[in-house]
Amino acid sequence: MAVPISQMATVASYVLRQKLAGRKRYPLVLMLEPLFRCNLACAGCGKIQYPAHILKKDLSPEECFRAADECGAPIVSIPGGEPLMHPRIHEIVEGLVARKKYIYLCTNALLLKEKLDLFTPSKYLTFSVHVDGEREHHDFSVCREGGYEIAVDAVKEALRRGFRVTTNTTLFDGADPNSVRRFFDEMMEVGIESMMLSPGYSYDKAPDQKHFLGRARTRRLFRAILSNRKKHWRFNQSPLFLEFLMGKRNYACSAWGMPTFNIFGWQKPCYLLQDGYADSFAELMNDTKWDEYGTESGNPKCANCMVHCGYETSAVNDTFGSLRGFWATVKATMSTEYKDDGALAMLNEPARPVHSYNPLVQIESPQQETSV
Amino acid sequence: MSQNLNPAHNPDELEVAQGTHHDQLEGWVPQLASDAELRDAFEKAFDYRGDVTLTLKSGEKIEGYVFDRRTGKTAAESVVRLIPAGKDEKRAIPYSEIAALAFTGRDTAAGKSWEAWVRKYWEKRQAGEKNIGLEPEKLD
Repeated sequence: MAVPISQMATVASYVLRQKLAGRKRYPLVLMLEPLFRCNLACAGCGKIQYPAHILKKDLSPEECFRAADECGAPIVSIPGGEPLMHPRIHEIVEGLVARKKYIYLCTNALLLKEKLDLFTPSKYLTFSVHVDGEREHHDFSVCREGGYEIAVDAVKEALRRGFRVTTNTTLFDGADPNSVRRFFDEMMEVGIESMMLSPGYSYDKAPDQKHFLGRARTRRLFRAILSNRKKHWRFNQSPLFLEFLMGKRNYACSAWGMPTFNIFGWQKPCYLLQDGYADSFAELMNDTKWDEYGTESGNPKCANCMVHCGYETSAVNDTFGSLRGFWATVKATMSTEYKDDGALAMLNEPARPVHSYNPLVQIESPQQETSV
Repeated sequence: MSQNLNPAHNPDELEVAQGTHHDQLEGWVPQLASDAELRDAFEKAFDYRGDVTLTLKSGEKIEGYVFDRRTGKTAAESVVRLIPAGKDEKRAIPYSEIAALAFTGRDTAAGKSWEAWVRKYWEKRQAGEKNIGLEPEKLD
């Protein structure tokens, strides 16, 4: 099982209640960012670029609980920044567990091993460890040698102590599908519960502005990775969302499904794109012009996005919105092989990034930028 | 779904997402003579990842990070929202009360690039360094 039955039942009954209440927009996952500071400076991340006085700020546990109560989503994802750098993160987790929220604490795991004592294993708490592929790929992606080893070591320790652990992998242009598939095997062998996958979002504040995938490329990459799937791979994602990534179905963005709360307030419209802040969850839901976002809106900032925080709720909505969607989910859950000769052939092609590079043998000619 | 979109934004055709070109705004002191200039300046201040300094018509100066702006029909109905440096509060200030705006803080999103990181990585590797990493900036 990719997630425990109790969690599946909680989410299913919550979504059905929203449907029965006739709610067109409802939150599924609260993205709670209790701080922006991080102990990594990844090239593809546009989350941590703030003045020092902003990076030093933390949400208090009380502010986190108020946001969770106001929002009401059954799942709370805690990204950041690096949440384990928050001095009261264990209090935040405890309070959310007491509220019976299913928590995904997203961490790069550099501090996980030393912080594990602060937490108690629970069906409500999962460490979602950011690992961007095999050793070399991960280390380069997070711009730190040795990062993979630290993360995997911490994952093993967390598993040994009885915690739920998943991985969270972001893929950029140039990702090698064969390597990603080998990575899946590796993680399943380590014994994690399941894996999450996402194409990187084109953050305009990220240092790397060259390796964001367009949608056509994203679909090809995920088709190569997720077709001809191995039976033992487990994913912590809606099977229809994975089909969306593979280009087998199309969805409109439902950014309202994963609202974000951080030190500035409720972020409009989503975790990825900042277009202002609301002071309450109700204001976020009622005053955001949702039609101005999502691929179909023509908004260039949304053009390439296929990230779960915009589209996973759409997939879940599809599951519970019609018998056809429900049947498609059942089928996708039972039959996960996705035999595809074309995708197999793609695995034999060399990975061809748009901007050809190999960091170890070819450096692009010096640019004006000199600092990192 | 996407037939009417500009080809550059057509999700079915996009191979790679174009990166963003950053304007050099550090040190900029915009003219705020017209309503359009005022709105444009505060849109840029909202997008800027450094502190700005506001001089109010009352003479008060506030340095801080602009995290939101809300534009109404008039300057009096439009507000900029910021967190003053070193304070634990949010302030909302109507555009009509602002005499001057200056981009005084360092743009924390500028001057960094993947190319620069690769170059530095390669230099360190050639120098025989182990455990090469890109550290976040110190906060003190």
